[in-house]
Amino acid sequence: MPVAPTQSSLPFDPAGARSPALDVLLRHARPAEPGVWDELRATGGAARELWQRFAALLPDAAAGDLAADLDRRVGQVAQQLAQDGVTHNVFDERGVASRPWSLELLPLLIEPADWAAIEAAVTQRAGLLEAMLADLYGARTLFSEGLLPPALCLRHPGYLRPMLGVQPPGGLRLHIVAFDLARGPDGRWWVVAQRTQGPSGLGYVLHNRITIARQFPDAFRELRVQHIASSYRRLLDTLEAAAREVAGNTTPRTVLLTPGPYSETYFEHAYLARYLGLPLVEGGDLTVRDDRLYLKTVEGLEPVHAVLRRLDDDWCDPLELRPDSALGVPGLLQAARAGTVVMANALGSAFLESPAVQGFLPGIAQRLLGQDLLMPSLPTWWCGEQAAWRDVRGQLADKVVRSTFPRGGRTSQVQQAHEAARAAIELDPDGWTLQDRLRFSRAPIWGDGALTPRPAMVRVYAIASGAGRWHVLPGGMTRVAQREDTSVSMQRGGSSLDTWVLTDGPVDTFSMLPPRLQVDDIAARRRPVSSRTGENLFWLGRYTERTEQLVRLARATLMLIDADSDADEPVQRAVSAMAVSSGLAPYGVPTLVQAPHLFERALLAGLADAQGAYSIAYNLRALARASQALRERLSSEQWGLIRTMGEAFEDTLKTAPGALPTLPQVLPALDRLALELAAVTGAQTDRMTRDHGWRLLTVGRLIERLLGLTARLQAFLGAGGAVGALGSAAGIDLLLELFDSAITFRARYQRHEDLLAITDLLVLDTSNPRAYGGVLRRLRTELTKLPGPATALEPFLARLPAEGAGLTLEALRGAGNERIAAALGRLSAELAEAAAALAEDIGHRYFTLAHGQEQRV
Amino acid sequence: MTTLEIVHETRYAYAAPVALAHHLAHLRPLADAAQRVLGFDLQITPVPGHRQDSVDSFGNAQCHFSLLAPHGALVVRAASRVVLAPRFGALEAARAPAWDAVAARLPYVARTPFEPALEFALPSPYVPRLEALRDYARRSFPPGRPLAEAAIDLMRRIHADFRYESASTDVDTPLATAFQQRRGVCQDFAHLMAGALRMLGLPARYVSGYLLTQPPEGGPAMVGADASHAWVQAWCPGTPGVPADGWLDLDPTNDVVPGSGHVRVAVGRDFGDVTPLRGVIRGGGRHTLAVAVTTRVAGPVVANA
Repeated sequence: MPVAPTQSSLPFDPAGARSPALDVLLRHARPAEPGVWDELRATGGAARELWQRFAALLPDAAAGDLAADLDRRVGQVAQQLAQDGVTHNVFDERGVASRPWSLELLPLLIEPADWAAIEAAVTQRAGLLEAMLADLYGARTLFSEGLLPPALCLRHPGYLRPMLGVQPPGGLRLHIVAFDLARGPDGRWWVVAQRTQGPSGLGYVLHNRITIARQFPDAFRELRVQHIASSYRRLLDTLEAAAREVAGNTTPRTVLLTPGPYSETYFEHAYLARYLGLPLVEGGDLTVRDDRLYLKTVEGLEPVHAVLRRLDDDWCDPLELRPDSALGVPGLLQAARAGTVVMANALGSAFLESPAVQGFLPGIAQRLLGQDLLMPSLPTWWCGEQAAWRDVRGQLADKVVRSTFPRGGRTSQVQQAHEAARAAIELDPDGWTLQDRLRFSRAPIWGDGALTPRPAMVRVYAIASGAGRWHVLPGGMTRVAQREDTSVSMQRGGSSLDTWVLTDGPVDTFSMLPPRLQVDDIAARRRPVSSRTGENLFWLGRYTERTEQLVRLARATLMLIDADSDADEPVQRAVSAMAVSSGLAPYGVPTLVQAPHLFERALLAGLADAQGAYSIAYNLRALARASQALRERLSSEQWGLIRTMGEAFEDTLKTAPGALPTLPQVLPALDRLALELAAVTGAQTDRMTRDHGWRLLTVGRLIERLLGLTARLQAFLGAGGAVGALGSAAGIDLLLELFDSAITFRARYQRHEDLLAITDLLVLDTSNPRAYGGVLRRLRTELTKLPGPATALEPFLARLPAEGAGLTLEALRGAGNERIAAALGRLSAELAEAAAALAEDIGHRYFTLAHGQEQRV
Repeated sequence: MTTLEIVHETRYAYAAPVALAHHLAHLRPLADAAQRVLGFDLQITPVPGHRQDSVDSFGNAQCHFSLLAPHGALVVRAASRVVLAPRFGALEAARAPAWDAVAARLPYVARTPFEPALEFALPSPYVPRLEALRDYARRSFPPGRPLAEAAIDLMRRIHADFRYESASTDVDTPLATAFQQRRGVCQDFAHLMAGALRMLGLPARYVSGYLLTQPPEGGPAMVGADASHAWVQAWCPGTPGVPADGWLDLDPTNDVVPGSGHVRVAVGRDFGDVTPLRGVIRGGGRHTLAVAVTTRVAGPVVANA
């Protein structure tokens, strides 16, 4: 085992090392617990050398302020996590709830020598697990020689018989393996568990690092903490190298397969997908044809050659595995068998996660590698081996009882009274595994002005780097439990730490830059837009626009109600009709003319009601849902803004039960929302790549705008060519406000409030982004850039007037107000119909691949 | 020797077009010393865009096929011609090894070779562990009783205690429910008997197959002949009259040791491993399913050797 010297690059004198900061830390530290390894302090209470160095590098460690400074930083970390929307989903009897990710301020520090030992041990074990899979899906000598109980595999739902004898493309079954390690009281490291199908944490590890390194830039640099970015590159490189073999001459396409937004770690699926530049897909986005895997995109089916999966084995293919899985891809197993797709990790690797496997690894390592294990597993007894059970049945108090075949949840630990456990084991010994209790080492946690030691477990990741070699990500996910007897699982109130691996050598300053690309790669690297993503983007555009229009309408309506002088009846009727048709007020509510007070109450009551009404809060939630499904494509600013503006709006309008929000509450909230929506629109128009997805978003926005504007104008016009609400200055002012065109109108026509001027600015003008003419001009342009041949796009264009707004100034020469009003009414009705039909057309052409329920027969 | 002709037709009719369908069929009869397949024809309408035959991990023939074009109906017609040799005529159940001695061969002992039949002594997705089944089985299995004799007794009791009632369960009815309500279809009888044997640590396989409507001997008509049938195999190694691999067929639905009227199509841990035809479709809306099986004697009945 290589032993690296532990020397800092800095001139460092241990004798003079008691920095003021260290004194503060130690003074605030709760006492070390006896009988466990304390990461911070050696026996006798002195800080360990690496913590001395860390303390010396704390920011501006002017002694007295340090505690307050650290408290402040804890707040900053929480704020950063909230701002980036770092969450994990927690499951309980009420369903799924999204919780903020928990990250501690202080990192766990690992010395170079310790790391060298971990790295060697983890490399060895990753190779061992790969060799085991090859054997257990091949010759099965481990069964025939009695080195692994066949029942462990054969009863495990993750041992997939259809994969027997199948050679994985690229020769690798495991691309990434995680090991949970903990340090015992004597400072030795133990392997507690391993994760072999789709280990979680890599996204959180990355985000934890970015957050914490920012808090302690000096310490991070001077302590020579190893960077982790190149590990992610390595993962992709190995995967793509294997994918290249199956892709033939084409550039391979890799996707990240997630169970979807309700999975425990969805945040990191989206985060990783964005970081790695992979499309984030759900089972429904993929389809198998002729034993090949395809992504359903707005351009049709695109081949997929590699899948980085976070979907558990038995959910992957409802045809051959769990038939009740709605998350998988029917036929995926056939594609995997045919060798047309690289699965990372290979289907069928789940059974190695059984805790019972740990107990047999020493013998297997001898047989398959001819080596002793470099790091021991926690002593483990599979009760199905009679001799083992006989040995430990009297010692249950000292053991952790685990299910040999844990289902569903990730944790295998079972809390049971000893007698109940013993009885359960006697009934079904194969189903149970016992493990020694290990008192984990204590990592120092800063919080509430104190340093508290907490039990810690470190998850480290081995990444295949081809040709049987492994690379260990220099870092990992450290999790701490609240107390000795609770779990480190984030599902059960655990928290996480950044993990700093110190090096004696140079720091790898690699950043996630792709290797040099060839022309073909670049041409092929356009990110595909899946049908589902395309549809979500289309609706993101529509909801953004719809909400903007609603906010504008709500504000104008409330101002009108609040105004000193009553508007005339046609205007009041127009406003009432618009409020109802747009969802601001419920159907059946009396009009402003009939019962102004009731109308106002209904409108106010609906604003923040996301469930019972179709008003603003409802649309904000729809907007948030669409953006949630698009996390890996939207900038974190846009995503965060959409989420927070909805929450803030509902918060601001909160009232006592039965009470209504008041105008002084509502108007500023609407103003603020209008600003935020403008920022969202800005992010959408100016800060997104103009790919097919963006076109669909824009087309969605323009269609929604056309629908909204035509509805507004129609509401203002009277029946059968009457000028209706446009007969008064108040009506014209209001319409201009709703078309966001008041300023231009004043500049152009001063106070000539006549219908022809209105027609010119709000209908004909192709330079006004909110005139029919302006909307249509842009819509025509964007439609021609949608994916597909010209012949497919022509029908879209044919829905719209060939040019302008479908009406000319010339046609209105000499017309009186009534004829103009009639022409506007007709045109508005036609355009509204065209917009609705166009939305249908687009859905039919681009999104149908994503539609349709799968069912088993 | 008996030659049987079996036609197994499955018809799906969908309310809405199915855009894409993936199917997996286990319809070709097994071939071994006691059962020779003279002919097999699998007709799929509409003709699938993709079709692949292979052998699964239990040695059964399987066929994956996919329909890539929209379709409103699917007909799968499997026609088999099979020659059956009489089986288990020389069975001497009383000379079988003691059941507890057989069970004792299976548990894991470090560094000793494993017995492949163990795979079928473990619980499986459709046959989970059920303590009640252990208690139920016990009465047939006093210590030291010859395994084949005890298993036949268990078969007889299941046949007596459970009522065959078509459509009383479906594929998703849990084993515990079928046990509790004391009724089911042949699939439940097979699962219950397999589960009972496994709770005693004994291997049992699930067999999917066909049953001749009129046995050649002119015996009584059997239950389950109008559809595909299912029964079990108990592992009785070293029993006179049982093939060298040790599997003894037992049909608890009819309380018989299958002779030459049972055609074996596939063996596995349970129904899930050997479902005759299943699929996952996209679209389709509501669907109706009709299955028809006809089994008849084709050639002349040849005198037993």
